[in-house]
Amino acid sequence: MSTEKITAEARTEFGKGAARRIRRADKIPAVIYGHGNDPVHVTLPGHATMMALKHGGANALLELSIDGKAQLALTKQIQIDPIKRHIEHVDFVAVTRGEKVTVDVPVIVVGDAAPETLVVTENSTLEVEAEATHIPEQFEVSVEGAEAGTQFTAGEITLPSGTTLLTDPETLVVNVTAALTAEQLDAELTEAEAEVGIEKDESDAEIAEAEAEGDSTEGDADSE
Amino acid sequence: MLMPRRVKHRKQHHPKRTGAAKGGTSLNFGDFGIQAVESHYVTNRQIESARIAMTRHIKRGGKVWINIYPDRPLTKKPAETRMGSGKGSPEWWVANVKAGRIMFELSGVTEEVAREAMRRAMHKLPMKCRFVSREAGEF
Repeated sequence: MSTEKITAEARTEFGKGAARRIRRADKIPAVIYGHGNDPVHVTLPGHATMMALKHGGANALLELSIDGKAQLALTKQIQIDPIKRHIEHVDFVAVTRGEKVTVDVPVIVVGDAAPETLVVTENSTLEVEAEATHIPEQFEVSVEGAEAGTQFTAGEITLPSGTTLLTDPETLVVNVTAALTAEQLDAELTEAEAEVGIEKDESDAEIAEAEAEGDSTEGDADSE
Repeated sequence: MLMPRRVKHRKQHHPKRTGAAKGGTSLNFGDFGIQAVESHYVTNRQIESARIAMTRHIKRGGKVWINIYPDRPLTKKPAETRMGSGKGSPEWWVANVKAGRIMFELSGVTEEVAREAMRRAMHKLPMKCRFVSREAGEF
């Protein structure tokens, strides 16, 4: 895991007025805490921080230079404006090289499960303990060819060396279930449409029939 | 259709439609979602129509989550009625959706299919919405 270097300025004025002035200047207010020390309030450059956090993933490790003093910091929480998608504030935890930290690492599903199945990610993150400088970016769960009823628990996921699982090993992470049959789905949707009052005219029925025929011919072609 | 089975008060005041969502602004279950860009009341009929539109497109391939619930009754007086004589009778059930709220989530399909399914669903909703995905990130 690479660490991005960012120059931060110590912050002396606080409150929403000061924070808004900082944001207007295309900078981000942030705080660094941990190790029993007093929190350090800093201002970060807007674009560089955004790019570092975007590339670093959920647990980005940054090397902050605060008034010439270097500090390794792990991202703890990012506050985002949900509409404008700007970073409003960042919380960092001060860490040292070799220190073990507890983090949530995302789980991603790779591969294609068997036909007529539905892959559902029940838990999208796993809590693990790892060295601050060697935090895994993500865990991959391969569902290649998995049949309906296959379940992947946290304990079955292969972790890199030096990483310890803290989540209960029995926690369900990925569940492969049987997909609804075409008849079940159609019956359910027809009932729902009747309740809402959606009426299908002839043209809709014709389009649906044409789509169904197209699917069946594609299916035949696949089977051949 | 979604509606509460039992409520404490049959008729309520109208909830405020201003401001932004305080929570529910990130994807929690699926890989793709529909995010409200404006605040609006969404009726149970609109929610169901959007769900049907999405499910019809993805067919059997994915799973849909609905993150909003129409728990507020809105009343209406009958047509050609003189004013007064009390509040009208409950007519709609609505969810008071604030800007930024993720209303629907979807997983188990490709991004292309999800985009089209959600585009169809957005046409059933009363406010401006946008497509969000876990892969694209939050910022």
